[in-house]
Amino acid sequence: MNIGKNISNIKGPKFKIRINHYLLSTIIIGLTALVCIPLQKMQGYHVVSYIFLFIVSILATFVGIGPVFLAAALSALVWNFFFIPPHYTFHIEKAEDILTFGLFFIIALLSGIFTTRVRRQEYFAREREVRTNALFQLTKELSKASGIDEVISVAIKEIQEHFDVKNLEFYLQDGNNVLSNVGKINAEPITSEETKIAEWVFNHAQKAGANTANFNSIPVTFYPLPGTRIVPGIAVARHEQSFNDDKKVFWETYLTLISNALEREFLDELAQKVKFFDESDRLYKTLFNSISHELRIPVATIMGASDTLINASHPGNVQSELFTEILTASLRLNRLIENLLNMSRLESGRISVRLDWYDINDLFHKVSEELANELKPFSFKIIVPEYMPLVKIDFGLMEQVLYNLLVNSIQHTPALFEIILQSDYKNGELIIQVSDKGPGLPDELLPRIFKKFTRAKSSKTGGLGLGLSIAKGFVEAHKGTIIAENKKEGGAVFTIIIPSENPGIENLQL
Amino acid sequence: MNENETILIIDDEIQIRRLLDITLSANGYKVIQSSTGKDGLIDAASHHPAMIILDLGLPDIDGLELLKKLRDWYSKPIIILSVRQSEEDIITALDQGANDYLTKPFRSGELLARIRAAFRATENKKDAEILTFGSLTIDLVNHIVRKNNNIIKLTSTEFSLLCLLSKNQGRVLTHQYILKEIWGYSYIQQTQYLRVYIAQLRKKVEDNPSKPSLIITESGIGYRFGE
Repeated sequence: MNIGKNISNIKGPKFKIRINHYLLSTIIIGLTALVCIPLQKMQGYHVVSYIFLFIVSILATFVGIGPVFLAAALSALVWNFFFIPPHYTFHIEKAEDILTFGLFFIIALLSGIFTTRVRRQEYFAREREVRTNALFQLTKELSKASGIDEVISVAIKEIQEHFDVKNLEFYLQDGNNVLSNVGKINAEPITSEETKIAEWVFNHAQKAGANTANFNSIPVTFYPLPGTRIVPGIAVARHEQSFNDDKKVFWETYLTLISNALEREFLDELAQKVKFFDESDRLYKTLFNSISHELRIPVATIMGASDTLINASHPGNVQSELFTEILTASLRLNRLIENLLNMSRLESGRISVRLDWYDINDLFHKVSEELANELKPFSFKIIVPEYMPLVKIDFGLMEQVLYNLLVNSIQHTPALFEIILQSDYKNGELIIQVSDKGPGLPDELLPRIFKKFTRAKSSKTGGLGLGLSIAKGFVEAHKGTIIAENKKEGGAVFTIIIPSENPGIENLQL
Repeated sequence: MNENETILIIDDEIQIRRLLDITLSANGYKVIQSSTGKDGLIDAASHHPAMIILDLGLPDIDGLELLKKLRDWYSKPIIILSVRQSEEDIITALDQGANDYLTKPFRSGELLARIRAAFRATENKKDAEILTFGSLTIDLVNHIVRKNNNIIKLTSTEFSLLCLLSKNQGRVLTHQYILKEIWGYSYIQQTQYLRVYIAQLRKKVEDNPSKPSLIITESGIGYRFGE
């Protein structure tokens, strides 16, 4: 099936190492023999045998069992041929020499076996450590990842690092058990037959494809990614070689960790979606209720008043009062529609700000003219300093902003009280303030005053609670800010700050 | 003075047409209605109305397209009806020769005032030498402007600006148009010049510069010389 980098890479180099070790053993024994020739003359040939044994034992700790055997055999033969009398024959006369000769092999064999075993264990221990580290690393990375996309990219990165996979793809379900591709390494598009297998794997939570019991004629392997409660999806991989048992366990542990993380994110996203739907459902209901309520009142006024006018004749003053009611109601309807349109423009991101130079006096005058009737009951003041330069704004949008702020003040300020609209220019910023000497903003409302559908109980004529939220949206479209506060001396103040460079008109030819 | 003048309404909304019909007829105008651009073109050619009220959102032809076609041969006033969001369309329409515009919904009183202003503007075109607006008189020949019989000193640019606006009384002039006429093509984007001059001019000619009644701002579009 599939093979991991670490294992597949071991065979080749090891083979080379072994040849080197055979050579090394031969050379060392040869050298030892050379050294021992003069020694034998002084100490006798038994000492030589001990030296050979010593060398063989030392060699056993460095090289594998084969080279040790070679070393043992060589030393035995060399010792026999060169050192045991009669020299230069393989004939052994004394029984103790035969025993020593045998000992060479037994000692070489034992040390070879032991060292190989120790080495193997060492190798596996190292391999286990690598895997444990890899798993630990994966767990750590996965737990840090937030969102399905991040989990997938972590998974791909970690798998690439520790496994030799040619292709890898993840298919995740969308919550309705439909799979879709989310992340891949060099994946070739899967065929329609493979799509069917993918679905089979997803539905049966069993692996399929190459090196499995199911559909094993295809070159890739499909693995289910089983979570504890749901199956978040499947993984598709093409492996170069098949895994050995150890590696298989490693791979499957990997997939389990990944699928657990995916499941976690998946359920999390699901929960958020549900929360979002709940929220939007709630919003929708609020919107629906207040819109129908807000629409019905002016419509009722228009219907009632016109009905009265049609059905009977009335004295002139009654007639004109009824007409005024109709006009007021339709203006209110119009304002409502205007606000709904603006809100939807804002929410769909279709606000384009057309900045141009404007005289702030013009803006203030235009807005106060539009609201002349509504402002009549108040002491309304406009304050613009002499040094006020031209400012760069979108006239239409700012007109809406000030209109909404003034309407808000009008609705919450008792008649005869002061409402002030003023501007200033400081440090390259246009400052506009709408303030009143009314009762001020209720403390509990302040944190969410610019949220849509926020309405104060004191509002004189209802409304949808969109005005301030639109004002904020439009000011922010100018890269500006708006804040609402209560003044120390009483009353509410809305402050708009919009960056506006100074117009270069000093050199203007008069 | 414009009694019995014929006005052609081109609008696809029956309720708007009916309302305009009632309002205009009650004010002594004769009304012809077309519900499509095609019919509008035919009616304009066959009836020679004294004015056309044109809705920009027509089902068959784009309103701006229709305006262009009409302007090829029709020189009498055209007033545009549009919805509020189409500020750029309004500017285009004005630059293509529309005399005025109104956004829906509008008050009928406002519409009547605009109609009267448009008619008056066409009459005023007869090369008058002195224009009078309330306490303001403009002597176009001798370049003298008087307010309450006192001569006001104006720079030559201010005077040109005042002349341009007052000669087009009642008509909305777009920012770009004014800039082009007074300063020339290369100044077409320099709105700040216009703002500064308008502010200066207002200080000199308006009774109350902060509540202008002569030089009226049309939000985001341009200026109109009032009555």
